Amino acid sequence: MTGPDAPAALRATGLGFRYRARSGWALRDCEFTVPSGRITALVGRNGAGKSTLLHLAGGLLHADAGEIRVLDAVPGAPEARARVALLTQDKPLYLRFTVADTLRMGEKLNSSWDRAAAEQTVREGSIPLTARVGELSPGQRTRVALALALGKRPELLLLDEPMADLDPVARGEIMAALMAQAADRGMSIVLSSHVLPELEQTCDWVLLLRNGRIELSEDADALRESHVILTGQADQADTLAGCHTVVHRRTAGRQLTALVRQHGPLHGDWHVERPRLEDILVGHLQADGADDMVRPAPAERTEAAA
Amino acid sequence: MNSSLWHGSLWLAWRQQRVLAGVGAAVLAAAAAIAAYYRSGMLDALRSGLFDHCDPGPVSCTRSDTGVPLLLDIQPLQYLGALNIALPVIIGVFWGAPLLGRDRELGTHRMVLTQGVSRGQWFASRFALAAATAVTLSGLLAGVFAWWWRPAADRSYGLFWYETTALSGSGPRVVAAALFGLAAGTLLGLLARRVLAAMGLTLLVTGAMTLVLEWTHKTRLLVPPHIYTSAGSVPKLPMGEKWSAGHYGLITASGRRDDVMNCPFPSGAQLKDCMDRNGYVARFYEANPAGDYWAFQWTDTAVLGGLALLLTAVTVLLLRRRI
Repeated sequence: MTGPDAPAALRATGLGFRYRARSGWALRDCEFTVPSGRITALVGRNGAGKSTLLHLAGGLLHADAGEIRVLDAVPGAPEARARVALLTQDKPLYLRFTVADTLRMGEKLNSSWDRAAAEQTVREGSIPLTARVGELSPGQRTRVALALALGKRPELLLLDEPMADLDPVARGEIMAALMAQAADRGMSIVLSSHVLPELEQTCDWVLLLRNGRIELSEDADALRESHVILTGQADQADTLAGCHTVVHRRTAGRQLTALVRQHGPLHGDWHVERPRLEDILVGHLQADGADDMVRPAPAERTEAAA
Repeated sequence: MNSSLWHGSLWLAWRQQRVLAGVGAAVLAAAAAIAAYYRSGMLDALRSGLFDHCDPGPVSCTRSDTGVPLLLDIQPLQYLGALNIALPVIIGVFWGAPLLGRDRELGTHRMVLTQGVSRGQWFASRFALAAATAVTLSGLLAGVFAWWWRPAADRSYGLFWYETTALSGSGPRVVAAALFGLAAGTLLGLLARRVLAAMGLTLLVTGAMTLVLEWTHKTRLLVPPHIYTSAGSVPKLPMGEKWSAGHYGLITASGRRDDVMNCPFPSGAQLKDCMDRNGYVARFYEANPAGDYWAFQWTDTAVLGGLALLLTAVTVLLLRRRI
């Protein structure tokens, strides 16, 4: 599944989308490849285009420029619909249906259906099959929606803010269930989340969106290895210029703290720390967009941008 | 395409529309029961011999002994006609507008469309089910009306073909109107952001269309009346079961038509004198013969059916952009 010949889970070339013909681009010039078999964290600030990207991949929206492929298929095409599941942020369900009806609908509307997997997901949340969806708590509803997505045994599962309504215990349980499924069947998962710590343990690929553009599409470990947090005298910032990329920096008095993507040995007198994935993501989310290379810019400027 | 997915999307369509279909069936059953009851009463009245001496013409006949006008009890029949006229509005508002609008408002179409079925399957199965039910319901209601109306049709003590409830509440136009209501409601449900707004707009559009067609009946815009002339001062042809357009008068040799008040006399010497003096050669009136029932029916059916097709085509074209 994860060999070099396996199709990419997601591949975008020159992808652009806007909601109205004359409005701004919600996504623009997106170019990335997510290998299959990965648990991908899709991160970005509010309005960065995460949901738009997932809706495009799920076939609910259509690209205005470029193209996006899921498992080498056109989103929304029959072979893509059979192999890709999308759980949207609002997790819409028919409120008058019982849980059993909802799962029955999944069985009827999909060409293949794993009833055991779907019912197990529901049962793990101790949700009675006879309950009406409208009577369930938001967290239970999320679980039913997830059961609907897992029942079709997707090869690629797209999740938009799946954990937002869940309590910490349920989060852990669902994450564990997802990871087990992913490991068992080689399922790829792309999940968007604002809760960065929960991505730390689970995700091994990162897609970072900023203002509708892809900023990072990389292996999580590679990111951890290439980034360092430096602390030292502000006046030696120039030693970083040219060879390293300063993602984000903060000056307090004469002390500078910077998240740096390292391209070779460091010069100067720095205290070096290994960042967590969360630190790297936050650093990139905070970074001043236009130009990541360090410039001899006044410290106030980066401070203001932070 | 995978036939089990068609089956699945039809299952979902039925699951969501079965309440409406049940209400429709109940209305139909009630209408049929009421029709059977009143129709048998009507047949009893006709069999009693009371109406045997009545002419078929429009002049109401009276009891030979008391002089009281004789009439069949056709009020309930007219109520059914009124229901049939309102059918496109009811179907459009309660069936068409929520057909896509409800899912769009709640976002549940996103859940359905991320399953195995395509947009086309999803729309086609639910619209086809709604259309089939609307055709069945409206067709049977029109049939019930026809069955009930037949013994009283075109009798002075019954209901003439040109009465609004008969002309617009019976025949194939009722079916075409139901489809038009459904198509209009479906499209507005796709365009409006909220179901309630879509229902309101559907009420306006289908109501306006119903009134416009009534107006074309009254003005004979689409089915022009015939001109009936009676030469000289001989008595006019009886109006009989024809539908008068309300225009009548006198014609000169050159064909000019004048108001009847220029010679306000009944047939006779006075009228003849007056006509000769003014150069009138004949009297005329405009009316639609009873056979025009079908001309009205088919023009309405063509207009409403054509609009239904057009609106459905627009819905299909917009489906990919709006959902």
